[in-house]
Amino acid sequence: MAERGGFGRGFGGRGDGEGGRGGRGRGGGRGDRRGGRRGNKSEEEKWVPVTKLGRLVKSGNITSLEQIYLHSLPVKEHQIVDALTKDLKDEVMKITPVQKQTRAGQRTRFKAFVVVGDGNGHVGLGVKCAKEVATAIRGAIILAKLSVIPVRRGYWGNKIGLPHTVPCKVTGKCGSVTVRMVPAPRGAGIVAARVPKKVLQFAGIEDVFTSSRGSTKILGNFVKATFDCLMKTYGFLTPDFWMETRFSNSPYQQYTDLLSKQATKAILPPTEEIPPVEV
Amino acid sequence: MSGRISVPSNYLTLWCCYLLNYLCFQISVYLCTSGMGEVILGMPGQWAHDYREKADHYTSKIGGLPDWPDLDIPVSGKLLLCDLCGGKLCLMAQIYAPLSMAERSIDERVIYVLGCMKKDCGSNPQSWRVLRLQRCKQDIESKDEPLKAEQPEEESTSVAEDKPTSQSSSVKVCDDEDSDSDIDLDDLAQALEQAATLASNSKKQDGTKHTRKIVEGPVAKKLIYDLTTPVLPCFYIYSQRNSSEGRMDKANFVGGSSISLKEIEKSSGNESEGESWEGEAYEYDKALGADRTYLKFKKQLDAYPEQCFRYSYGGNALFPVANVPKPGACKICGSARRFELQLMPPLLYFLQEASDDSSNFSIDGWTWLTIIIFTCPKNCCSGTCDEKSGNSCRCIVEEEAIVIQDD
Repeated sequence: MAERGGFGRGFGGRGDGEGGRGGRGRGGGRGDRRGGRRGNKSEEEKWVPVTKLGRLVKSGNITSLEQIYLHSLPVKEHQIVDALTKDLKDEVMKITPVQKQTRAGQRTRFKAFVVVGDGNGHVGLGVKCAKEVATAIRGAIILAKLSVIPVRRGYWGNKIGLPHTVPCKVTGKCGSVTVRMVPAPRGAGIVAARVPKKVLQFAGIEDVFTSSRGSTKILGNFVKATFDCLMKTYGFLTPDFWMETRFSNSPYQQYTDLLSKQATKAILPPTEEIPPVEV
Repeated sequence: MSGRISVPSNYLTLWCCYLLNYLCFQISVYLCTSGMGEVILGMPGQWAHDYREKADHYTSKIGGLPDWPDLDIPVSGKLLLCDLCGGKLCLMAQIYAPLSMAERSIDERVIYVLGCMKKDCGSNPQSWRVLRLQRCKQDIESKDEPLKAEQPEEESTSVAEDKPTSQSSSVKVCDDEDSDSDIDLDDLAQALEQAATLASNSKKQDGTKHTRKIVEGPVAKKLIYDLTTPVLPCFYIYSQRNSSEGRMDKANFVGGSSISLKEIEKSSGNESEGESWEGEAYEYDKALGADRTYLKFKKQLDAYPEQCFRYSYGGNALFPVANVPKPGACKICGSARRFELQLMPPLLYFLQEASDDSSNFSIDGWTWLTIIIFTCPKNCCSGTCDEKSGNSCRCIVEEEAIVIQDD
């Protein structure tokens, strides 16, 4: 039998993978940090997918996140998002201590808010509490990647160039905070408070007017309300979507048929050519 | 900062505080686990050279053909057929799981997990069958099982005089959230006493301890010429204990972020615009597609990403979803079945990788997240066994499997 890939690499690879993690970028300022996946290829290869979607992504049958969004498949592994997106940047928005009163004094944990995005229509927000700061950040990055959503952009007026603003007025709510986003003309920039501005920058929206209401001092809710607002951009039915949908097979059905070579009565996918009939 | 506790005046609490740093991990584990639950992981070993090669019934393996020991009565046909379609079941996993309990020890005990590969049956839980085959012996053997899997002593601490060593070093790791409940100091003292008694008990007589034979591969690679039964790609299993919390942190590391702690402290110091994040409270993990239970499941998986099954006799299963149906009762003795082992998704991934070449079947019909196997706690026999006369007999009993699907 030909040699199998997985196991041999699995045994030897464990030691190798842990060595390549030392180089984390250091630098001042609060700018965006690029996800440094370039040097860590060995870790990606060690991903053993758990869900069916993960197996499809790993085998290369699914090539873009849009196929996943089209069928609303839940993403349960962050490696899926890593594999399907390029240049996903992440940034820690805030780390706050969260305290709980116990009999032996106060127990402090750290809550990390991380936003990930590629600046071109995909953004995710992750919140994680943990006893150590590093654990909280790591966990929040993973949760943010699990929550990556598509953001719809549109035009304010003339449809010249690429979409730059929200397609319509949308509003999102979390707790008592409501955030309303209104389309803005080109050059207006993101007119928002510092905290939601970051999320909108990661989403790839260039111009927008925002208005907020409620107790925006609770910045956790403020950020989540902005994120909720972005989620709704694709939920809004505009006249572009009035045409009837042509339904296609979910990747689960599509690839089950293709991969079952044995079945003689397999349903042929429509892209296959019909062999010529001999007269 | 988390470890800082003001020095109390009470002697008991003072003693507990010294131990807290060492024992916090172990004690929280004792509060979480139900006594004898240590988890043994089945990790993938070598591939078989031929998928139909014969091993012995002491081998733990995935796929291939089942190795029946010498049976007085051969395994009846209908146990090997699918309930739904009537076709032949194929062996998914064969696990050698001997037991040594206080009253009796069962050395020859094997668990076979059989499944149907047809497309429609694969997602239906009724097509799975679990068989437990054992030889009942009357004589009680010596307590020291010569075949131990591994002896990870590196985590044993030497704080208290009668500190449990072998048990504490190989216990299941709990989550942050579970162990974050208040460790009340009285409970701590109680738990320490319990731990001490457990240790002394374990040294006097073996508790319910389970051993596993490490198998590198069968010596005689004979082939079984049974071409009618469908066969999955075959590989052997070696066992490993589930340990080391530190490993989980490393496994969770995503090789992407280049954020350092210094930057965070700098950024948090730059709060000059009058924003202060107030009113934050503890929040459970949540993502768009994954809930808290699943995230905990995934965290355990990420610690050992290649684990094929988790074995924990009488321990707690790792549920990926919250509502899991309860197991039924044993058909022979009527006692409620107990968790023994569960199959994990990396198994499916390995089988799929291997099956790309051969086109006998499709495993794509299988979309389970985990298969949890419950067995009778009394290891009862099927009734034809005559224990009083001291004869050793082999019996085969059907057990229960709960399949949790991946939606």
